[in-house]
Amino acid sequence: MEFAAFLVRRVMWSLLVLVGLSVVIFLIARVVPGDPARMALGPTATQDQVADLQEKLGLNLPLIQQYGLFLGGLAQGELGRSLLTEQSVNDDISETFPATLELVLFTILIAFTFGVPLGVAAARWKDRWPDNLVRAIAILSAVMPSFFIALLLQVLAGYVLQILPTTGRLPRDMEFQASVTGLLIIDGLLAGRLDVVGQALRHLLLPSIALALATMGQIARITRASMIDVSRQDYIEAARAFGIPDRVRLFKYQLRPAFVPPLTILGLEFASLIGGAFVVELIFSWPGMAAYGIRAITQKDLNAIMGVVMVSGAFFVVVNLVIDVLVGIVDPRIRIRGRRA
Amino acid sequence: MMTKGLLLTSTAVALSLLAGAAAAQNVVTVNTVQIFGTIDPAKISDYTDYMAAVNLYDGLITVDGDGNLQPQLASSWVVSDDATSVTFTIDAAAIFSDGTPVEPKDVVYSFERLLRINQGPANLFAGVVAPGAVVDNGDGTVTFTLSKTFAPFMATVPAIMILNSDVVAENAADDDAQAWLADNVAGAGAYLLKSWDRGSQMTIAADAGYWGGWTEGKIDEVRMIITNDEATVRAMAASGELTMTSQFQSPETLAALDEMERFDVVSQPTVTAFYLKLNSRMAPTDDIHIRRAIAYATDYVTIREVIFPGEPMNTPLPAGFAQFHAADVVGPSYDLARAAEEVALSAYAGQQIPITLGWVAGATFEEEISLLMQANLEQLGFVVTQQSDPWNRITEIAADVATTPNVNQIFFGPTYPSPDSMFFTQYHSAAAGTWASMEWLQDPEVDALIDAARATGDVALQAEAYKAVQVRLMDLMVSVPLLAQTQQHAIDTCLTGFHTVPMQSFEYDFHRYSWTC
Repeated sequence: MEFAAFLVRRVMWSLLVLVGLSVVIFLIARVVPGDPARMALGPTATQDQVADLQEKLGLNLPLIQQYGLFLGGLAQGELGRSLLTEQSVNDDISETFPATLELVLFTILIAFTFGVPLGVAAARWKDRWPDNLVRAIAILSAVMPSFFIALLLQVLAGYVLQILPTTGRLPRDMEFQASVTGLLIIDGLLAGRLDVVGQALRHLLLPSIALALATMGQIARITRASMIDVSRQDYIEAARAFGIPDRVRLFKYQLRPAFVPPLTILGLEFASLIGGAFVVELIFSWPGMAAYGIRAITQKDLNAIMGVVMVSGAFFVVVNLVIDVLVGIVDPRIRIRGRRA
Repeated sequence: MMTKGLLLTSTAVALSLLAGAAAAQNVVTVNTVQIFGTIDPAKISDYTDYMAAVNLYDGLITVDGDGNLQPQLASSWVVSDDATSVTFTIDAAAIFSDGTPVEPKDVVYSFERLLRINQGPANLFAGVVAPGAVVDNGDGTVTFTLSKTFAPFMATVPAIMILNSDVVAENAADDDAQAWLADNVAGAGAYLLKSWDRGSQMTIAADAGYWGGWTEGKIDEVRMIITNDEATVRAMAASGELTMTSQFQSPETLAALDEMERFDVVSQPTVTAFYLKLNSRMAPTDDIHIRRAIAYATDYVTIREVIFPGEPMNTPLPAGFAQFHAADVVGPSYDLARAAEEVALSAYAGQQIPITLGWVAGATFEEEISLLMQANLEQLGFVVTQQSDPWNRITEIAADVATTPNVNQIFFGPTYPSPDSMFFTQYHSAAAGTWASMEWLQDPEVDALIDAARATGDVALQAEAYKAVQVRLMDLMVSVPLLAQTQQHAIDTCLTGFHTVPMQSFEYDFHRYSWTC
C-alpha cells in the first residue's frame, strides 16, 4: 500500500517536472536565433514565401496560444510536423529512437559488464597494482571525451586495420526491416536472421565502446568506493572471522549492499545518454534520435525540438522511477526506512 | 553416381555464376554533408534536395555543363517575338516511371501546384508567371504566358520538375499531396527511390525503363550517405565503400584520398563566388574610401592559394558567365600602401576606426580569412572586432542594416544559369534584407540596369547592361570579390561524367555518369 502511494506520488511529481520542462524548452526554442520558416524554406526564399509559411505554422500567434496548441496536440499524442523532414515528429522519433535506444542499451551493458568487476577487483586488492590499474583506466576514460575516443576507434578499426564497420547500423546491401521493436538484435532474433544479429553487433561495437568508456570508469570507481565502505561494516568483519571464503564474502555479502550507488549512476547515465550520444551518432552516421535532435536545434525545427526534449525527458523520468524501485528491491533496508518515514 | 555428382556440381556453379552476373551492378556511394529535407519538387531548396530531385524527376528542359539549356521532357520550344510567351512541345516518347505518357496537363498541374504551395522554386516565378497562365493547347504543346518580358525566364524553367498529375491528384488529400510526395515519387526521372533513412542515407536505383534510355556503363544504384565527419569519409574510402566525396571535404581529406590509388581529386571552376560583402549603410563602411581600403588590404593570393582554393575574380560576376563578364575591368589587388592612401582620403582619417568582421561560426577557413584581414586592417588604424555567428543567426542579423556587420564573408551561387540570378538577389533594392544582400546597396542606377537586362530578349543588350552593372559595383566597391569557388571531389577513377553545372546540384544527375571499369 505504501509502495503504491510512493509510486503515485512519484508519477505526479514526474508529470509536474515534464510540464515544467515543456514550458522551459518551448520558450528557449523560440528565443534561440533564427527564423524557422526561413530555415525551412532555404536561403533563396523570398520574404513573401517566409511570411506565408510563418502564417501557416502559426508563428505569428501569441506565445501562449502557440503553447496551448502544442499542449493540445501533445494531449492527443501528436508532436506536430517536422519542418526539416516533412514527416510527423511522431514518425521521426519512432524511426530514430530505437536506434539510439539500442546503442545506449549496448553501451550500458558494456559499461556495467566491465565496470562492476573492475570496481570489485580494485576494492579486493585495494592500494595494490590492480587497484592502481583500475584507477588509471577510470581517470583516462573520464578525461578523454567520447568524441575523441570515437574518432580514434574509427581511425584504428575502420581506417588502419579495417576490421570493423564505421557507419550505420547494418551493411548497405543488407535488407532488413526492424518492424517489431526497432532494435535490430531483438528483431533479428525474432525473425531468425542471425546474419542481421551478427552484423548489428559488429556495427554497434565501435560507437558503444566510445560511449561506454567514461561510464565504465565511473561505475568502476563508485563500485570500488562503495565496496570499501561496506567492507568496513561489522558484519563483514564477522564474516571474515567466521572464515567465510573471500569469493562468497565479496559477491554475496559485500556486493549487494554496495550495488546501490552504481545502480543509481547507471540509471542516470542511461537516461542522459539518450540525449548525450549525439556526437558519437554523428561521427558514426548512426541514425539515432540524438543526432536528429541536434539537427532540429541547428535548423530551429520547433516541433522536432519539442518532441525530442519531451521524449528524452519522459524517458529520464521513467528510468529514474524504475531505478528507485530497483534500489528498493536490491536493498530492503531502503524500503523499510521509507515505510518507517 | 559420379556423373550425377558432376551434373549437380556444374549446375550449382552455373547457377552461382548467373546469380553473380545478375548481381553485378555499378554502385556509386557518395557522401553528403546534410540530410535530404524533401523530395517534393515544389519544396526543394537546398543542395541535397536538388541532388535527389534531378535524379528522381525530369523537367521540361535541363542544363548542361556549359550552362546551355538542353531538351528533356520538352523536345523543343518556341519563344514569342516579344519574349512574353514560350510554347513547349512535349516529347512523344516521354513517359513516367509507371509507364503512362507525359502530357501537357502534367506540366500545367505541376506548375499550378508549385505556385499554390509557394515554397522552393516558386520564388523564381513570382510576378513573372501568374496562376492560370500555363495552358495545355491540346496538341501536345503547353504555353507559358509571362506577365512581362523576363529575359532569364528560360534559365529558370529547369527548376520546374514535372509530376504525374493523375497519381498526385489521387493522393492530394487536403494538402496538395504534400504528405504523400514527402515519401513518394511520381516522376519521369532516370532513377527510382529505393530506400530513404532520413537521418543517414538515401538510395536510388536506375529505372530500367527510363524513357531517355541508358548508355554503356550506366550507374545502377546511387547510395548517398549523410556524413560530414572527415574521419568517417576517410574510413569509408579506405574500406572501399566510398566512390565519390562531397564537395565540402577538407583539403587534408582530399589529399589523403588522392594518395589512394583508387581516387583522383577532380577540381573544376564554378560560378559560385565568395565575397566580402561590405555594409554600405553603416559606419565606417558607409565611406567609399574605407571600402576601397578594405579591398586593397585583402591578400587575395594567400586566400586563394593557402586558405581556400578558387579562381581569381575581377568583378562580382564570375568569369564563367563568359559573354556577360566584364573582363576588361581591373579588379582590386593587395596593396597596403594604396589602402593607407584610401583611408587618408576618408572621413575617418586620423582616428582609430572601429570595424566588425563577420564570419560563419564553425567555418575554420572563414576564421582564418578574418584573422588575416584583422592583421592587415590593424596596420591601417582599424580597431577590429571579430563577430562569428551560426548560420541561422546570420540570416537573422542580415535582415536589419543596424545588425549587419561591416564585413561579411558570403558564398553565392546562381540558382539558375543566368547572371540575373547573381545580380538581382544580391544587388537589386527589391531583394534587400537577406544574407545575400548584406551590402544594403539600394542604388537606383544598378536597379535600372538589372531591370533593363530583364526586360529585353536581346542578348547583346543584356550583356551591355550586365557589364555596366559590374563597372558600377566595382566603382562603389560594396562587394570585394575574393574568388570563384573551385569545386573539388575525390572520385573513383572508374567513375566518369562529373562536370560542374551552373545550376544547383545539376552536376549530380547520375544519368550523365558512367562506370568505365
